[in-house]
Amino acid sequence: MGEVRRHKRHSEGALHIGASTPRADAYAKVTGAEKFAADYYSSDMVWAGVKRGAAPHGVIKGIFTDEACKAPGVIAVLTHRDIRGSNRQGVVRKDQPVLADKKVRHCGDAVALVLAEDRETLLRALDLIRLDLEALPGVFDVEEALKDGAPLVHEDNAGGNTLLEAHIQTGDGLTAFERCDEVIEGRFETPWQEHAYLETEVGWAQQQNDGKVVIVASTQTPFRDRAEVAEAIGLDLEQVRVIAPYTGGAFGGKDGITVQTLLALAALHSNGRPVKMWWEREESFIAGTKRHPTRLYYRLGAKGDGVLHALAARLYFDTGPYDHLGGVVMTLALEHAGGAYRIPHALLDAWCVYTNNPIGGAFRAFGVTQVTAAMEQMMDMLAARLDMDPLELRLKNALTRGEKTCVGVTLTGSTGLVECLERVERHPLRTERYAWKAAAGPFKRRGVGIAALMHAAGYGTVVPDYANAKIELTPEGKIRIYCGVVDMGQGNASANAQIAGSILNQNMDSMELVLPDTDRTLPSGSASASRCTYTFGNALIGAAEILKNRILQKAADLLMAPSTDDLTLAPGKVVNRATGAQIPLSRLGRLMAESERTAISHFRAPVAKDRLDVTDELRLHGLGHAVISYGAHLAAVEVDEITGAVEVVSYLSATDCGRALNPQIYEQQIHGGICQGLGFALFEDFRVEQGTVKSPDLATYIIPTAPDTPNMESLPVELHEPTGPFGLKGVGEIATNGPAPAVANALADACGIRMFRLPMTPERVLLALRGRETR
Amino acid sequence: MTQVLLPRALDELWDFLEEDPNTAVYSGGTDLLVNLRGGRINPSRLACLERIEEIRGVRDAGAAVFIGAATTHTHLLENSLVSSEFPVLTKAIRVLASPAIRNMGTIGGNIVNASPAGDTLPPLYALDAEVEIVSRKEAKRMPVSDFIVGPGRVRLGANEIVKGVWIRKAPEFNVRHFEKVGLRKSQACAVASLAAALSLSEGGKIERARLAWGSVGPTVVRSAEVEEALLGRELEIQMLAEVARLVERAVSPIDDVRASAQYRRIVAGRLLLRLAESGCKN
Repeated sequence: MGEVRRHKRHSEGALHIGASTPRADAYAKVTGAEKFAADYYSSDMVWAGVKRGAAPHGVIKGIFTDEACKAPGVIAVLTHRDIRGSNRQGVVRKDQPVLADKKVRHCGDAVALVLAEDRETLLRALDLIRLDLEALPGVFDVEEALKDGAPLVHEDNAGGNTLLEAHIQTGDGLTAFERCDEVIEGRFETPWQEHAYLETEVGWAQQQNDGKVVIVASTQTPFRDRAEVAEAIGLDLEQVRVIAPYTGGAFGGKDGITVQTLLALAALHSNGRPVKMWWEREESFIAGTKRHPTRLYYRLGAKGDGVLHALAARLYFDTGPYDHLGGVVMTLALEHAGGAYRIPHALLDAWCVYTNNPIGGAFRAFGVTQVTAAMEQMMDMLAARLDMDPLELRLKNALTRGEKTCVGVTLTGSTGLVECLERVERHPLRTERYAWKAAAGPFKRRGVGIAALMHAAGYGTVVPDYANAKIELTPEGKIRIYCGVVDMGQGNASANAQIAGSILNQNMDSMELVLPDTDRTLPSGSASASRCTYTFGNALIGAAEILKNRILQKAADLLMAPSTDDLTLAPGKVVNRATGAQIPLSRLGRLMAESERTAISHFRAPVAKDRLDVTDELRLHGLGHAVISYGAHLAAVEVDEITGAVEVVSYLSATDCGRALNPQIYEQQIHGGICQGLGFALFEDFRVEQGTVKSPDLATYIIPTAPDTPNMESLPVELHEPTGPFGLKGVGEIATNGPAPAVANALADACGIRMFRLPMTPERVLLALRGRETR
Repeated sequence: MTQVLLPRALDELWDFLEEDPNTAVYSGGTDLLVNLRGGRINPSRLACLERIEEIRGVRDAGAAVFIGAATTHTHLLENSLVSSEFPVLTKAIRVLASPAIRNMGTIGGNIVNASPAGDTLPPLYALDAEVEIVSRKEAKRMPVSDFIVGPGRVRLGANEIVKGVWIRKAPEFNVRHFEKVGLRKSQACAVASLAAALSLSEGGKIERARLAWGSVGPTVVRSAEVEEALLGRELEIQMLAEVARLVERAVSPIDDVRASAQYRRIVAGRLLLRLAESGCKN
């Protein structure tokens, strides 16, 4: 607890913006020295675990814990009756019990919490708990759930099974279709996607003598967690401290509470002993959140020359039994439903629906992945109908700066879709595609497909997207950054070091990082929404500039220089260029008072200024973003006619990322996004039947391996974003959106079949090739 | 805590097994540990075979080759005798699981586990391999197709183990083909697979044919009807497409979470088409 990360094995030079500096976390992670939440153990530690309802829908008639309580090695068995707080958690709507009280609403609902001396005892005790559940009919389909008479997941919800619905009309809405020369329709289905992080949900907690509960958790949201935990189990905010080490993967699956509340509750009943909870893979699959499955109805109309004219879409999101972030995900999808195109008339309807399926939640690219998969296939279907080149059709309709999206948001920031498309257009994978396709071997067919992308960053118009950066010159002469936003692997902690190091002209060895900790770092929002380096980086620039001025002023005083004009920071010291006099930072650090050598700066991200004709509720859920990244992807695929397997041979992406602060980290982000997008496109088929998970583990839920990933080329298109730190825009999510439509379009190019349902497994492809009904 | 025994010789193993009949025998543990964790088995203790020298390694016995049961897949992949005499087996092992699993898992384990998706099994069936079974008192051999009777079910009595597998050299086969259809390129469980050993005459006519399919029935499937239909024919697409119909009738796949029976049946037949490519190369 309370460690400071120092960094080894770095070169001597000062840090620079735009350099591929090795990541600050690389050495410690590769050597196994880095301590993740999963690595927290203590000698007198208690294991905590959860009994889950294992039924999709039922009334809890009884929870029988006597036998488990009596088992040797069991310390406590807790139920909802042991919770003093609201027993409810959630981000927007607090509708999820910590421990189920009246009903279970999906198979993963937690019903009882067991504390035991060791893991084996814990597992045995969980088996001894008996539940008396009166089964209720469940609801498992989004459109069925909206019908009159459907079983209700929350009887007290005014909207029935509707969590949130939205309707946006721009221009003339549906009547505009009368003036279209071509109209294309499509119905798309996208599945759940499991985050499948290396480190499953895990944490460690202990109640201190003063009553404060310290939680170390694998989380993206330490500050929000603190508030949720306190309210749910009835503690004061000050009685909860959340510490967030680097996560072993998160991707949105740790954007909110997983183990935190249960751990805190356990820590209140462990007689001061530390408590650990670590979900098994199967538990993570059943109880963790997933990318929302969707059913998307699209209608797109254009003039004969390919100019888009009208869009109608109905979007259904299955949020499972709890909001989690369902309404927010749906709203971001709605904002992106028409892509980065000029579409003057639109009618968009969306529903986020309660069901008794697994919980839908945040997953990298947050709803935009689903609608992009549909819209970008619609564009290719339209191009085929018009006998136009798909890239040309996109260029013709691509939005430029100052124009409005189809929901009415004006693009005020840098807008590089055209530049991205042009980079792809000139690339050999595109210019030489006909020769490459013609060279396909026996039983192989080749195709090339593209997709155009946009992805907005930040929280939208109402929820403040802010960060508070704190930086310190330590008495040892090091620069310590108090990181407010979790680094879940994306590299923002390293970017922080690079930003501050560049401003203060220091090398990596001089940088120290304090990872998020509600007691030590300042509230700066979640690690999500492609916002981390954008928002925190902007705050950090402000703090680093303040510190720089203070250091130079103090040095000028000590060196008796008339002003700071001749002084400059160099690694480890301040130098007077006029006299050659120097003063080490360690001396300055000792001579400056703590308040003098510590600087804090606040930044709040800009929001869309358009007065959109939408409900306040929709604005609260985020509609209207100001900072947007763009991209163009190309997939070259080879389809095996014997098996139906689709191999992605080459993959190209061009991304309008603003300034890439660190090209290597930029590339890693894009590669990771593409790989998860390829998983969504081709492999990952999370099966649920009547609320029960049928792909319960990594043997049945297929994620791509290294040999399944293609050569990837990731071109940065570095248009300066005026509001970004050094011109940067976030790219944590955008790449995830490209593979599904790019591969689907390539498959259509190769074999003339279009898959309206993801993933495009060999079986579905082969049966489509043979014109048969899929299962 | 489970006790793990590490016998160095078969005699030591027999003692352990007689002491406690609820001792589970394993080698690499790549299946056993999964079953233990899943609570599907509950042995009182474990006996590991990997240190028993007599059942490890590859031995050239003249007309045949003996492969010890506790020989790892990685060892077989690197063994030149295996790759020169039985390239169909090498091809199958190359796509078996992942390097880490191949380093631990053994051919004996793959046989005794008797999964219809076991990747070494179609080659062993196509090569007419024989399993050697030993106990303290006796040793016997039987064809692998007799030894395996169903998914996870083998003819292995109490206090017997598989010592190894015998494969006759068969240089007359000049087409040796293996293809596995999985849901990804590595760490994939076969949805369907085909091992084929064919003799082609100089004129390109099929003189001998042995084919075996994995994952399309309770055990690996061989079909005399299919093999006979190939004799005297040339490896060309039209003919193979006709025989594929017979294959569809010969297999008896099931629906599971990985694939439908319909898909497995179609692919089992279509895998024959790939042989058209081999036809020109040999």
